[in-house]
Amino acid sequence: MKRKTFIVSLALLATLPFISCSKSESKSKLTIALLPKSKGNQYFVTCEKGARTAAKELGAELKFDGPINSDPAKQNEIVENWITDGVDVIVAACENKDSISTALKKAQAANIKVVTYDADAQPDARSFFVNQATAQGIGEQLMDTAASLTGGEGEFALITGTLTAANLNEWIKYIKAQQAAKYPNMKLVDIKPCDDQKDKAQQEATNLLSAYPNLKAIIGVCSPSVPGAAEAIKQAGKAGAVKLVGLGLPSENKAYVKEGVTQAVILWNVEQLGYLAVMAGAAVAKGELAPGATEFTAGKLGKMPVAGDNIVLGKPFVFTKENIDQFDF
Amino acid sequence: MNKYFRELTVAAALGLLMLGLAILAPHFFQFQPFISRLTSQMPALVAAIGIALIIISRQIDISIGSQFSMCAIIAGVTAASGLPLGVAIFAALGAGAMMGALNGVLVAYLGLPSIVVTLATMVTWQEALRLWQQGRLLNLPKGIQWFGLSQPAGQTIVISLAFILLIGAAWAMKNLAAGRFIYATGTDAEAARLAGIDPKRTTFGVFVLMGILAGLAAVFNLVQSPQVQPNCGDGLELKTIAAAVVGGVAISGGRGTLWGVLLGMLLLANVNPALTHFHQPPYWEKAIQGLVILLAVVADGIRSRKARL
Amino acid sequence: MSSSRSFSIKSLLARHETVLVLVILFEVILFQVLGRNFLTGRNFSNVFRHSVEIGLLAVAMTPVILTGGIDLSVGSMMGLCAVLFGMMVNSLGMNPWLAGISAVAFGAMGGGVNALLITRLNLPPLIVTLGTFSLFRGLAEAITKGAESYSGFSPSFLALGNSNIAGLPAQIWVFFIVAAGIWFLVHRTTFGRSFRAIGYASEGARYAGIPVARNTSLAYIIAGAVAGLAAVILVARLGEARANAGIGYELLAITAVVLGGVSIFGGSGTVVGTILGWIALAILNNGLTRISDYKIMDQTVASVARELSGLLTGLLLLTALTIGASTKTLAVRHARKQSLAKPTSNPATS
Repeated sequence: MKRKTFIVSLALLATLPFISCSKSESKSKLTIALLPKSKGNQYFVTCEKGARTAAKELGAELKFDGPINSDPAKQNEIVENWITDGVDVIVAACENKDSISTALKKAQAANIKVVTYDADAQPDARSFFVNQATAQGIGEQLMDTAASLTGGEGEFALITGTLTAANLNEWIKYIKAQQAAKYPNMKLVDIKPCDDQKDKAQQEATNLLSAYPNLKAIIGVCSPSVPGAAEAIKQAGKAGAVKLVGLGLPSENKAYVKEGVTQAVILWNVEQLGYLAVMAGAAVAKGELAPGATEFTAGKLGKMPVAGDNIVLGKPFVFTKENIDQFDF
Repeated sequence: MNKYFRELTVAAALGLLMLGLAILAPHFFQFQPFISRLTSQMPALVAAIGIALIIISRQIDISIGSQFSMCAIIAGVTAASGLPLGVAIFAALGAGAMMGALNGVLVAYLGLPSIVVTLATMVTWQEALRLWQQGRLLNLPKGIQWFGLSQPAGQTIVISLAFILLIGAAWAMKNLAAGRFIYATGTDAEAARLAGIDPKRTTFGVFVLMGILAGLAAVFNLVQSPQVQPNCGDGLELKTIAAAVVGGVAISGGRGTLWGVLLGMLLLANVNPALTHFHQPPYWEKAIQGLVILLAVVADGIRSRKARL
Repeated sequence: MSSSRSFSIKSLLARHETVLVLVILFEVILFQVLGRNFLTGRNFSNVFRHSVEIGLLAVAMTPVILTGGIDLSVGSMMGLCAVLFGMMVNSLGMNPWLAGISAVAFGAMGGGVNALLITRLNLPPLIVTLGTFSLFRGLAEAITKGAESYSGFSPSFLALGNSNIAGLPAQIWVFFIVAAGIWFLVHRTTFGRSFRAIGYASEGARYAGIPVARNTSLAYIIAGAVAGLAAVILVARLGEARANAGIGYELLAITAVVLGGVSIFGGSGTVVGTILGWIALAILNNGLTRISDYKIMDQTVASVARELSGLLTGLLLLTALTIGASTKTLAVRHARKQSLAKPTSNPATS
């Protein structure tokens, strides 16, 4: 009886591919697929907002999907699903540069245009990279801001997301390089991962503060680490004595910045990044933006310069006590 | 051998770690960071009390991390909508009790294996929370942090409530009938039934209690900062189960004390701070925690083997 | 045995595997009707290409769970094996196929560590593998300092993860071989049948002369080795080896096994059930991403597919368990009634 069931099941399953009747789709609308590094993240939610505005202006369909956990295989899976869907262009922020490139190359082979934003893939896996600011720019900006707050000397520590996150490691590399080149009197004493959990960042910062009594500054490299570290500094009563700078959204840090616990939060205009990325994707798909171009028109942002295969959004913005109230993302 | 062998060895290990810290990194014992560190470990301790009761009754609950996150967000949303803190706390405890009751019904009355039931509810709550919140960091209104009191007062309340709970639970496990029911159910449910205990009701009760404790732990977490993140309970199940096991709670049920759980919790929770204070790189943390767990169970294995021979 | 036709259909319906086939059929029809491009060749190979690692873990986990054990360490083992594999190829310049075989061997060794602690020291599998779950992932992170990753593998190796053989993804053939091997072991050898005996009553199995410790060990060693293999396949698909490979896969694999009708207490279940459970989950995962014309909570189904499939997996598991528990009660009652009515042999032997 068992064998019978098995054979029946197999027979049923085997017939499946043959009863398929693929639906015909109206292919008039441009379909743009936007891939964030992770979906449950205020940063990319804000990106999506800008992307939706752009899609509406273009009259295009926008698909937005991304991983919800740290499984490195998920981004590839999503891209391959989009290849099946036959989207026109994929706009991707890459979590693991090398692995996602494997999937993006497949997309290119299937005549889908690929543009990257936020974090790049391998250069031959995409046509353009919409750069919010280079990794170097971010690393240097963080280091410079921290150094200017501490007067260019003393010990400092980093809190990162996970030890395996490729883009965070890239930024850390440039933080170290900038420190070595310009601030010989500063010393990086420790790098701690917070697993993208604010509470863990708080505990790590508490430990850093007591383990390194001469600590002058903490740099938060991932967004949950900044409010977490701020709470630790506040609880330790070291607000102002230990400077805190980091990457993060104004809305998540407003209270601490105003209290003077967090001195500076660094970020580019995230909503514009999403907008620009979708505009660039559409331009590439329509053939308006091709290799060799020096500028292209990105909707309400006007003419954006193109440097090689990079479209740069602009310099990272530093949110401080003085200006943070003006932003609502 | 001594009945409290395990508790004593873990206490010795913890003592050794503390001694090492006292000699090599005395900054560890500065008052404020020490208190802040201890306060931040209280939510996990409260959840660990629950998990210990679950394991003693020969069940397991891997959904507590999801329960914790869910309760924290429910309390956070309630508070953010302008309702008073008391209502938010009540909402968290109530939500916890309901999630615990669902596990309890499925395990106790339908006789389903707890590891699978709680695996299913873990995924369910986790994904429901993601659908609902999309991972947003939630800003809480003023007056939530430290129950609206000063920081030292808030920390005192959290730490003392957690310890009162621990002492009360430890006392109850030893002296109250309900506590003995849990041990009896975990040792041998059939024998317990014949002795006039209702093992189903006991199991159900333990799961409901677990849910309430997860809710309480979430509240203790909520009041420590002005924001709450939907992933705040990630990994809590493993942390607490590990604490219970290292503290000598037998996974086969019926054996273990809450004092052991406290010691196990403190030992595991201080591996990472110790690494920082010894100025060691962080990437050994997981490997060391795994080794501590294995050492603890291997020690158990060798002891019981000797006992058999 | 089957005296009347109606009875055989009834018992066919009562079988867990049949129910799963119906669930799979239902899913397929649902997604074909509601979704776009679901039943296309490309999508069908995607369904299996993306989930083959979990399928491998699930199939290898089946003997472990049949013995009444569990292995939480397989996902972490994938991380460790992926990193070791990447090191062997990139730092030692080893041939990727040779390195792949070594990674499988490392996996088997890791499984051996679990087996040793569980069978020789008589420790609970849940706790031992919880310990190695931390340990293996921790070692993977420590070896790479968390940050290093390995890439730049040869195209011939990457083909294992990305090319097709005879119209099916290359790695599916590997899965077929492994699944057939484990099916044969579990259902067609005395050795493998002992797994169920051990899970049903390990003391009894020992008195019946089964070398319980040796046979249980083999189940964990297989699980470790297959985790190593899954790591190599994952690396071949992604083109990158990193310490976070396989995070959370142990729970997905266990879910597939349990959905497949294998009792978590051990003693009953089939490899075919596990495979069907895995297919049901894989289709659910993929199918929801195809539905872009319907909305839920103001968002298209496709854009919240991952959360929804997690949610539905949880609910499906609970439903399967509840139905399983109540049909078992019914079956027991039915059997009791029958044996009272006419003392003939019970045809429902599974």
